[in-house]
Amino acid sequence: MPLTGLPAKDYLNREDDLSYLRRLADMRQDSLAANVLLLGTRGIGKTELLKQVFREVFWEGREVVPFYYSFKTAALKSSTFARDYFTRFLKQYAAYVKKEPLLVDDAGMSLTRLMPVLSSAGLDWMLDIVDAFQEHAVSGDLYGQILAAISAPAAAAKRGGRRILVMLDDFTASEDLHEARRGDAPGLASLFEESMKNSLCPHIITGSPTARLEGIFSDPSLRKDTERMQLLPLPEDTSFSFFDSLLRKMHITCDMREAIGLIRTVRGNPLYLKNMAKAAWKTKKKELREKDLAECYCHEILDGEISFYWSSVLSERIRTKNLLRTLLRLLMRQMTKEGADDEARLSQVLGIRDAELGQAMEILDGNGLGRHDDPVFEDFVRALYMREIEGRSAGEIRERIGERFGTQRDSSRFEMVIPMTDQAELVAARAVEQIGKNINLEPDLLNYIQLALVETCINAIEHSGSYEKKIYLNFLSTPEQIEITIESPGRSFSLDSLRESPVEEKLASGRKRGWGFTLIRKIMDDVRVERVNDRTRVTLVKKIRNKEALK
Amino acid sequence: MTTSPFQVTSRLVKDVAIVYPRGYLNNLSGEYLVNECGRHAQAGLKKIVVNFHETDLINSIGISFLLNVMEDLQTAGGTLCFTEMKKVHLDTFEMLGLTKYFLFFPDEEAALTALDARKR
Ligand SMILES: Nc1ncnc2c1ncn2[C@@H]1O[C@H](COP(=O)(O)OP(=O)(O)OP(=O)(O)O)[C@@H](O)[C@H]1O
Ligand SMILES: [Mg+2]
Repeated sequence: MPLTGLPAKDYLNREDDLSYLRRLADMRQDSLAANVLLLGTRGIGKTELLKQVFREVFWEGREVVPFYYSFKTAALKSSTFARDYFTRFLKQYAAYVKKEPLLVDDAGMSLTRLMPVLSSAGLDWMLDIVDAFQEHAVSGDLYGQILAAISAPAAAAKRGGRRILVMLDDFTASEDLHEARRGDAPGLASLFEESMKNSLCPHIITGSPTARLEGIFSDPSLRKDTERMQLLPLPEDTSFSFFDSLLRKMHITCDMREAIGLIRTVRGNPLYLKNMAKAAWKTKKKELREKDLAECYCHEILDGEISFYWSSVLSERIRTKNLLRTLLRLLMRQMTKEGADDEARLSQVLGIRDAELGQAMEILDGNGLGRHDDPVFEDFVRALYMREIEGRSAGEIRERIGERFGTQRDSSRFEMVIPMTDQAELVAARAVEQIGKNINLEPDLLNYIQLALVETCINAIEHSGSYEKKIYLNFLSTPEQIEITIESPGRSFSLDSLRESPVEEKLASGRKRGWGFTLIRKIMDDVRVERVNDRTRVTLVKKIRNKEALK
Repeated sequence: MTTSPFQVTSRLVKDVAIVYPRGYLNNLSGEYLVNECGRHAQAGLKKIVVNFHETDLINSIGISFLLNVMEDLQTAGGTLCFTEMKKVHLDTFEMLGLTKYFLFFPDEEAALTALDARKR
């Protein structure tokens, strides 16, 4: 599997990430780098990046052995896992030494058959490591077996004089490692601590959803000596080049202007683009127009590969139809509501019992489904909602999703970083003014949005206890709404902690402060505060009603 | 919104001080405004009109300073009036439930007339 990456020429826009990870072994040995926690939304290209790293390191000849392991395909019963992990490691090591790529994925090669291969590769010392592993197996020492497997790369690095680059994909699935049934052996992930400490075998670890991966790494023993690397969406122009190159291979053409709605909808996610290109191929058209893309999109959302992808993500955690329905209603509420709800309120308006709601919310938050920036996922939810809750026909759903397609065409996104210095918030306010003008927003409304933004920036400055004195802003405007995210390092806070005290109480206090968030909440339709990596992110959303846009 | 550096000036009309805050009213400039008003109060003036005609933006900290000005003046038995506030500023006071604590007038003229009437 690891050697099935895209040809280098088709792999786009990740030169910096790739070259950093390629050199990780050197830098880790010189204490210039730590283990890497590779973060990124679903489908953004985490696995692909690991495959690219694998290939480069495999052929580079710097005496660094690449080892790739995915927990997704792994047998998650721990005894099976131990043997699988161990065998795959040996195979990939031998493949590297013998420069025999086929060996990497040779499923038929059992541990016993591997022994002569190791020997012929001059790796006799490895037989000791195998013996030690087998001893645990024979004596039925499950824990010893797992530990021996996990520490095999470190042991081999010490014995063999070659460093090992350990790449662990879909690491979130490691939470499901178990002895007899799911959940009976929590914390197995922490067994990686020893091996991760070893500077001869740096680890790159990734998986989805980010929230769960971060959860695992909140364990201090894993956290130390680990740095985060965020894989960002492809920029718009790269997204189009990527899509265009996929189409060209199938002798299909598509003008940038026709595709812009799609490009903006997928938000730089190569998985979506790839699936859309495949869907386009099935239409047998030679030249694609926007309406063809809309058709493909509907197909993808309703019953294509994108739908399949998200359905399987949901079904990983959701086992009953009832829970699915609760989840859909919750998601739909989040997507359309104007203003934040607390749990009690939600339970009332949705008519869902507290316990059930709590369970659904946990799934949403734990799997990073609740907070996202992904119109495609939203459309998937919408379609499913229409089917499961509203009982609409496929034709009807198709039509509605089709209508929505392309509303992203007129969206624009700006990013900016401002220092935490006096009056820097005014620079941000000026930016939002121009963005508002670009979409003909009414001046009054703009003034309010500016004020809310200024308040949020001031708040970020006051709350930051960090040495990194910067605020990261992201503006996204569509004809329907303007969304601003404000991220700052430093102490976190939650909306609930900002208790609204009555006006009289504030007036009686000495400093008479504390108006900022009241204002922000009055002005915006939705205000969210969340922790993203080591930053606090405040998201402000203002819906644009018809009369507010000047014609 | 174009924001110029903050400045505060004032002029006297009989026994009324008219104060002109210009630019962005925030924590730093709020301090100036409080001092300027304090100066008038110390000189024995009990009526202050703040003309916001050239104030571009008032942030929430700016508002807390305005509240301080009001409190100081009230303790001294004086009256504070606001004039020529932009709609967004008026709305801000409204949103915060603070409208009832201040006297708002469309222009200086109206404020002066009202203050004059109070005297009698
Ligand atoms: N930089 C890139 N250039 C071109 N294609 C890419 C790039 N990155 C990823 N892809 C393609 O996009 C698709 C999705 O990538 P990948 O499977 O690596 O995502 P992922 O982040 O691992 O997703 P998941 O969260 O589901 O594990 C793959 O088909 C991959 O080949
Ligand atoms: Mg993956």
